[in-house]
Amino acid sequence: MNSTSATGIAYQEAIEQYRPQPERPLPEPQLENRKLLKKFHPDHIDSSRTRLNIGINRGDNCHKQLAQLLQSDSRISEADLAGAATINTDVLVIGGGGAGCAAALIAEQQGANVLLATKLRLGDSNTVMAEGGIQASINKEDSPQNHFDDTIRAGHHHGDPDLVSQLALDGPDVIRWLIQQGMQFDLDEFGDLLTRRAGGTSSDRICFYRDYTGLEMMRVLREAVHNSNIEVWDYCPTVELLGDDMKGCSGAVISSLKERKYIQINAKAVILATGGIGRMHLNHFPTSNHFGATGDGLVLAYRMGAALRDLDSFQYHPTGLAHPFHLAGMLITEGVRSCGTYLLNGQGERFIDELSARDIVAAAVIRECQEGRGILTEDNQNGVWLDTPGIELRQPGILNQRFPKLMHLGRKAEIDLTQKPLLIYPTLHYQNGGVVINENGETSVPGLFCIGEVSGGIHGKNRLMGNALLEIISFGRRAGLMAAQRRKNKRSSQLSIEHLNQLRRELTTAEIPLDCQGPLLFPEYAKFDLDSDYEGLRRNRSSKP
Amino acid sequence: MSQTSPLNQVLLHPDRRFGADLETWLIDIGGEGLEKAIQAPDEILPTIRTANLLGLGGSGFPTHVKWEFIANESNDQDKYLICNGNEDEPGTFKDRILLQETPHQVIEGAMITALATGANQIVFYINPDQTESLEAMKEAVNQWDETQYINQISTLLGRPLEFYVVASSGHYIGGEETAAIESIEGKFPFPRGKPPYPAQQGLFGLPTLINNTETLANVSHIMRNGAEWYINQGAGAAHGTKIFSLSGDVLRPGAYELPMGTPLDELIYTHGGGMLLDRKLKAVFTGGPSNTILTPRDLDVPLDFDSVQERRSSLGTGAMIVISEGTGIVRRVTEYVSFFANSSCGQCPSCKTGTYYASQLLSRIDSGNGTRADLDTLINLTRILPGSGRCHLLDGAMKLLDSSLYHFMNEYEQPLRRN
Repeated sequence: MNSTSATGIAYQEAIEQYRPQPERPLPEPQLENRKLLKKFHPDHIDSSRTRLNIGINRGDNCHKQLAQLLQSDSRISEADLAGAATINTDVLVIGGGGAGCAAALIAEQQGANVLLATKLRLGDSNTVMAEGGIQASINKEDSPQNHFDDTIRAGHHHGDPDLVSQLALDGPDVIRWLIQQGMQFDLDEFGDLLTRRAGGTSSDRICFYRDYTGLEMMRVLREAVHNSNIEVWDYCPTVELLGDDMKGCSGAVISSLKERKYIQINAKAVILATGGIGRMHLNHFPTSNHFGATGDGLVLAYRMGAALRDLDSFQYHPTGLAHPFHLAGMLITEGVRSCGTYLLNGQGERFIDELSARDIVAAAVIRECQEGRGILTEDNQNGVWLDTPGIELRQPGILNQRFPKLMHLGRKAEIDLTQKPLLIYPTLHYQNGGVVINENGETSVPGLFCIGEVSGGIHGKNRLMGNALLEIISFGRRAGLMAAQRRKNKRSSQLSIEHLNQLRRELTTAEIPLDCQGPLLFPEYAKFDLDSDYEGLRRNRSSKP
Repeated sequence: MSQTSPLNQVLLHPDRRFGADLETWLIDIGGEGLEKAIQAPDEILPTIRTANLLGLGGSGFPTHVKWEFIANESNDQDKYLICNGNEDEPGTFKDRILLQETPHQVIEGAMITALATGANQIVFYINPDQTESLEAMKEAVNQWDETQYINQISTLLGRPLEFYVVASSGHYIGGEETAAIESIEGKFPFPRGKPPYPAQQGLFGLPTLINNTETLANVSHIMRNGAEWYINQGAGAAHGTKIFSLSGDVLRPGAYELPMGTPLDELIYTHGGGMLLDRKLKAVFTGGPSNTILTPRDLDVPLDFDSVQERRSSLGTGAMIVISEGTGIVRRVTEYVSFFANSSCGQCPSCKTGTYYASQLLSRIDSGNGTRADLDTLINLTRILPGSGRCHLLDGAMKLLDSSLYHFMNEYEQPLRRN
């Protein structure tokens, strides 16, 4: 945890001084939101920004760590493909999270042959970590227009209106589809969907199942995939996309970790659903993301020629666990704040409206810590309190009833959340930008679709709670449909890795050394047993600076 | 040559690549060659003969000889000139640049050609996938209609001069002369048997001249500057310039217009920026790529028709696909042979089955499933198939295969299955 200041109130001292209180006043804000963001949000750390030197986004702002990967050499050359088997399919889905599954299911329903390749196992994804819920304007007093307005506003007016409108309009139908698939939601005594309000929104719009909505969603999708004719390849990271002779994308090179060999997939459409970048630990932040979120899709799509956007905008979730050390970065659902829990600094004072948008709350937490009002642990980690005892006093029993996963986390941390607060600090949570897409998830490269976190434009510069789960299903279904249709009128074409030659030409011309290889595939601290270590991975490790 | 750099001095001159803008073309150098031709139509053929302009679509056949065939046909009938812009070979991308960026250079050349041969129907036959070329040419042709040149030429010819811009069927084989004629007639582009040659009975049974886009693009410059100038553009014994389509494992691929006879290493290392990642050069597939492969020993070869011929290869369209060490020859040959198999029109059984069978055998060997017997069969095919098709598609495919077997037999043998 890297807050610039290491001053604060010692953890032991703070926890002893802490007394549960039902109500606490919110002081007047000292700094308007825009200035707060500019001064304290990690996106605005100048030393971590750079400009891209190659590719279609040349000249754009980009986070330094991401730029290094976007401007890295490929892991493969033509020699690696000599003798590699080629498998044909209609639609290749890369990524085994919610978006990939939704796209695969719809494409298969349309009669396409679908192959789903995932780096880890089906369902190993950030989808299962989404706790808060999914947004859909299903209430009488709500409307898609309100949903649209909230999303655009939260994204600081950087979102693509066409994409956001498709997202908001699709909301109710996505919930219906999920229920049809067998997903459960929390219901009221009449059997209607319960809803609650997300930070930064104007209406109760979050549908949820306990505090593991994403896990429930993934359970259903995973079963649906296993019960379909979709072929699933686990432990098969994609190391490169394949081009064709018509400047499109016609497949991918997959590295089978089990068989230790490269396999070429010739597909009529490729759907990238590889998720985000949390495990790149931008600015040395901990992350709430799962093990596979290493930004592979961005690197692959960029090399293929797809345009990216908002590469300097990331979401730091305000409530990541900061103590104990071994659980650092674990996410605490926004649902806890959305039902009224306060955030307190080391002096026991509130410092921000807890229902503000995520970037503002995160910036406020960082401000408290940097200005010495945070709580400092023995591991030199800063943080502020999540006042769970306070909400328990106001709404007795709510923690056990609504947040079983949070209580479980408390037990793991050996903290009784009804008596003691949790120490939290922002955690790297979401990549707001990504590959530029249209309403059907199509990128600027024919045949290449991007959906879910790897795509950009929907959330602008900041994402609302619950919009990610909606996005993956809404755009996943559309991309699946379009990809399946595309197979019908696509000419067969010659696979090519000419785009990698082009990449190497640009790298050489821009005088960027070719010693870094991408995509990352696994976090740098990943340990492999000797058995699974083979040439491709070994090369990667030795080339790390 | 007086210029400091020999690159892009004539056809691809950077100042002249402004697309379909006749006014600018005429203010610049446009019209000068044409006016000279109109003043003395009889001088055109001798000038081209002296310049010894060669067919730049791949044959290297003397252009004036072809023209004379047509010119000698009776003038009391329509005669056709087809500007061949079907360009569909892997690694060739010169005509599309000429048509799209310098359409008037091509059209003026075609008009002079028409004057020289008596052709009054000019057909621009263009690959349908090159939509920008088609649009530029359509617009450019309309712009000429408003000038007095059309009337002047029509008067000299005694028949109205007419332009057609036609999209080809998009088949590779549609670039073959007689297949192009079939295609323009609205039929599937099956190559015809010869004779009768197109010069006697071509499009709609009338005398027809077919020239490549790049050949025609040169004509107005030769008329404007004279044959002597053209001869001096070349390096060594060669005449004129040539557009080379450089691709593959080089740092700066692209279209380079250089003096005919520029050595291969100068093209790759001086203009192409050298090999990508400084790898070693392994082979060069030339123009088509239906030719014999060049190897590092041929780096000094001057790139003109005769010199490349001496190395038992052919300059072809000027496409140079450069392959570096680390790139498998078998895979590349497999790709190209399957391209030819897919492009075969299928009317000659030897070509239809031969290219298909060869590509199947190659795929099997490339994927590690081939046997010694497969390789022997492949070698046999290269011996029995050449010469058995109407056009040169089959010959080209076999020539490529044969030379890859000659130079890189170990790469074919290495992945063979034992037993």
